Amino acid sequence: MPAIILMAVFFVYPLIRVFVMSFQYWRVLKGAEFIGLDNYAKLLRDSEFWKSLWNTIIYTAIVTPMIFVPAIALANCLKTTTRRTRILRTIFFIPVAISFVSASYLWKWIYNDTAGLLNYLLNLAGFIRGQQSWLSETWMARTMVSVMIAWKTQGMTMIILIAGLQSIPQALYEAAEMDGASKRQRFRFITLPMLRPVVVLSLIISIAGSFKAFDHFFIMTRGGPMKTTQTIVMYINKLAFEYFDIGFGSAVSVVLLVILFIVSALQMKLGGYKND
Amino acid sequence: MTKLTFALLIIIAVIFLLPFYWNIVSSLKPSAEILRYPPTIFPSQLTTIQYDRLLGSSNGVFLLYIRNTLILAGSTILLVLFASLLAAYAMSKLPFRGIKIIFLLILSIIMVPFQSLLIPLFDLFNKLNLIDTIPGLVLVYATFFMPFCIYMLKSYFGSLSDSLRESALIDGASELKILTKIYIPLSLPAIATVIVYVFLETWNDFILSLVFTSSNTVKNVQVGITDFAMQRFTMDWGVINAGTALSSIFPIIVFLLLQKYYVQGLTSGANKE
Repeated sequence: MPAIILMAVFFVYPLIRVFVMSFQYWRVLKGAEFIGLDNYAKLLRDSEFWKSLWNTIIYTAIVTPMIFVPAIALANCLKTTTRRTRILRTIFFIPVAISFVSASYLWKWIYNDTAGLLNYLLNLAGFIRGQQSWLSETWMARTMVSVMIAWKTQGMTMIILIAGLQSIPQALYEAAEMDGASKRQRFRFITLPMLRPVVVLSLIISIAGSFKAFDHFFIMTRGGPMKTTQTIVMYINKLAFEYFDIGFGSAVSVVLLVILFIVSALQMKLGGYKND
Repeated sequence: MTKLTFALLIIIAVIFLLPFYWNIVSSLKPSAEILRYPPTIFPSQLTTIQYDRLLGSSNGVFLLYIRNTLILAGSTILLVLFASLLAAYAMSKLPFRGIKIIFLLILSIIMVPFQSLLIPLFDLFNKLNLIDTIPGLVLVYATFFMPFCIYMLKSYFGSLSDSLRESALIDGASELKILTKIYIPLSLPAIATVIVYVFLETWNDFILSLVFTSSNTVKNVQVGITDFAMQRFTMDWGVINAGTALSSIFPIIVFLLLQKYYVQGLTSGANKE
């Protein structure tokens, strides 16, 4: 079976290897040497590792509500299918189709401090005066990259939520209306509980995605200023392919793997993939 | 929907499309006008000079990137379709012991991000002489984009009636014949989902191409654009905007043509609760 062979060679084997390599020290051209838990001990003391992990967590905390608030609002407005809503849904979903690289350059250009559209529009509206630099200060950079990501990815969440809203049987609402439930009560006691599994599912997909962040920070901030926007995947990439610190890079990879494994295990448990 | 909500949604839609408009308009301005402040929302003249510069630089390397990416996406789609149709058919219709193992594999690939396997994959590529080759990248893409496709095709096959297969078996048809003559023609919507999903994933990939390729004849268009942006001392926004616009047209067109199937595939999991 071609599928099994592919998965065994390019997934199972590397998966075992990353654990093995995380217990090794690699010398250039000399091969590997078993050093036990030394890489993990180093990891606990490594301030750049903790910083990258922290940056990734902060980014996740900022970007998740930025994605979900508009996605929930738009899904609620567009849940019925008409010609109008179909066109609007498509428009809100288009950014999902382009790459993170393209989206990053699109917005890096909008954020440009000397000729950028954002500075121009905000000056025009009188919100700011002069030229603000959007990506060179830590918190501002984190926020502005998150704005871009919200624009780029909320469509995915919106579509999943719309599907969830549409799967709620209309009869429930009709019955509640006959019993005299107000619009708010219907939302509180029918929509919210029925929608919960779908919200949890898309929340976890979104959080897992944020933990894997690489492209947009690589392009928009290069991890700066002072590595405060360097994510965990960027750190792995740097350790392995710039510093050639293979063993240590593998240990950091194992940490990422374990975190995401827990996140997805939660997802499996809360619904979604079942063998049926 | 009230008139007020609709008006509000139109405004939001305009804001959503603004980055695309700004990208295209910027790519059609002469170099001097691009960096002018205040920027011209409606350019005084439209010119294709940025596209000429993009396509003309380094012997048309940008078209080479586009060609590479099309080959990468096309080969990955074929490989994924081949492997996942067979796997999904076997899993849903043939009782055998390996099914549990495949299902476990599929689940774990969905759960383990390839970003955490870059180092051992690089090591493996080194041993197999696959670094900086198109087949190497295709094999990794296929491995990591296949699980979703198998899962989706399997549930689609599961929804087709078993009586079709049984009567074909009585008529003496082989399993392979049943798959190609009955199941595949009946599963065209699910196959369309696979095509658009794999196309978008491979076309938009950045980190795998960045790590595993280095020569211009293999690199994909995303890495190509970053090369244009980062290899020069100052950002050449004319060329970058032209490159971004050109490379985004492909996934946008594929998405618009096949969006029904893409959205159906993505939301099939959500509706199963």
